[in-house]
Amino acid sequence: MNITRVAAIFEKDFKEFMRNMMLFTSVLIPVVLAAFFGRMDGGEGGVPDEIVIIIVGVVFSAVTFSSMMTMMAEENEKDTLRGLLQSPASIIDIIAGKSAVITLMTIISLVASIMLVEADGFWSMENIAGLILLGIFFLNLGIGIGLLVKSVATTSVYLIPIMFLFGFTPYIEFLVTDEGHIARQIAECFPLYQNLYILNGDGGAAEYLILLAWVAVSFGIVIWAFNRRKSDD
Amino acid sequence: MIHVKELKKTFGVEHALKGIDFEVDKGEVFGLLGPSGSGKTTTIKLLTGEFKSSGGNIEVNGTTDKHFKKTSYVKHLGILSDKTSLYDRLTVGDNLELYRKLYNAPKNVVDEVLGKVGLLEEKGKRVSKLSKGMKQRVMLCKAVLHKPDVLFLDEPTSALDPTTTEKIHEMLEELKNDGTTIMLTTHNMDEATRLCDKVAFLYEGVIKETGSPEDLRHRYKRNEVHLTYEDGGIRTVGRDVENQGLLKEALFDTSVIDIRTDFPTLGEVFKKVTGKELV
Repeated sequence: MNITRVAAIFEKDFKEFMRNMMLFTSVLIPVVLAAFFGRMDGGEGGVPDEIVIIIVGVVFSAVTFSSMMTMMAEENEKDTLRGLLQSPASIIDIIAGKSAVITLMTIISLVASIMLVEADGFWSMENIAGLILLGIFFLNLGIGIGLLVKSVATTSVYLIPIMFLFGFTPYIEFLVTDEGHIARQIAECFPLYQNLYILNGDGGAAEYLILLAWVAVSFGIVIWAFNRRKSDD
Repeated sequence: MIHVKELKKTFGVEHALKGIDFEVDKGEVFGLLGPSGSGKTTTIKLLTGEFKSSGGNIEVNGTTDKHFKKTSYVKHLGILSDKTSLYDRLTVGDNLELYRKLYNAPKNVVDEVLGKVGLLEEKGKRVSKLSKGMKQRVMLCKAVLHKPDVLFLDEPTSALDPTTTEKIHEMLEELKNDGTTIMLTTHNMDEATRLCDKVAFLYEGVIKETGSPEDLRHRYKRNEVHLTYEDGGIRTVGRDVENQGLLKEALFDTSVIDIRTDFPTLGEVFKKVTGKELV
């Protein structure tokens, strides 16, 4: 990885992000949602943790995952990725530059959203550690799927299920009220639930281990996508 | 500079290249000519490391194809692909600045190359606002701003207007004079005749003929002489012993206003070699 080249790609992608309305508005979606939910009262003077964590899920799925996937898909669609790969920039430089932009946008969207819902104890070290793992998971999903998606139009095919499964996981409580139901038990192993437990103060080593396992799975997806793309070429 | 030996490429059961050989010397302009689907773009992609070969040997600028992905190889190449790869939302300057930084080229090169193709005034314009010809010129700037040792051009003037084509030809001639080794693919015979020191006819994955445009035209000239008379009549006679007397007479015949041998165009040579038109 070459820092000068990563910085050049970061600068290019940052400008592209700011001029692409589809990407730029994705940063605002969680903020608008937070402004709306910020008016809800959790009974103890704050917004319920379930709502806070769903806003977190929207930030990571709509900004981190979706923007990364869309940026990669657009590079594939317009053949600009080919141009970059014909230059001294490696795929690692390209992904690092893009990831830096997406991370910056994710932080902006997350901080603004959390400020609006005024979630107490959100910025604890334990919660930040959980958020970093969740961020890596969504970023890797975006990279992996982005490497394979050939056009921006097809990104929506992946966006809806990923958002539903990983961005809105706690919503299952409204759909399946039986706590012992198998669907609830499976959902509770999903990454966003681990962040919910950590935010509640119920998190321990198990939650971090489950998050780490999901991160490992996401790295596996990236490696698989790399190899699949290589064999396609 | 470029050595290709028995190069093969297959896609499934389709044989795109069936074992081609050619050599390009340093500072030479080499044209790979052939109709669509003949394997020209595949050859460029193999030489630039985008495709892996199915057999044979390639060496470019002292590097074998096993090392084509290395930065040390890539940074000495300039590539103009058949598809545009510019960022539409960014300005011309932003696009070129990106590549200048990726190649670690001096700061002034962006203005320098834009000036050469007459686009310096468009530096602040978004790429989406440019015409196809302008985009192609920016693409060429992108390919040459780091002063590559070898320049690969895939159909550099395909579907462009004559003015843009002329500007691109002028820039390529300048690069050729500066000693850049250029390999281009084209099906434009006039372009090949003007720019190339050496050409190869690629047809159905096989190189059918190679040589300088002039050599090929000489090699395939018809053994005929055309006599044009002042009344507009043209007589074609064979250039042989049988017509020796007639041709001598024609030299002193005042009614003959033009005597010329039949010198084929490169396109005609291609047709003679392959039996197909170059389209």
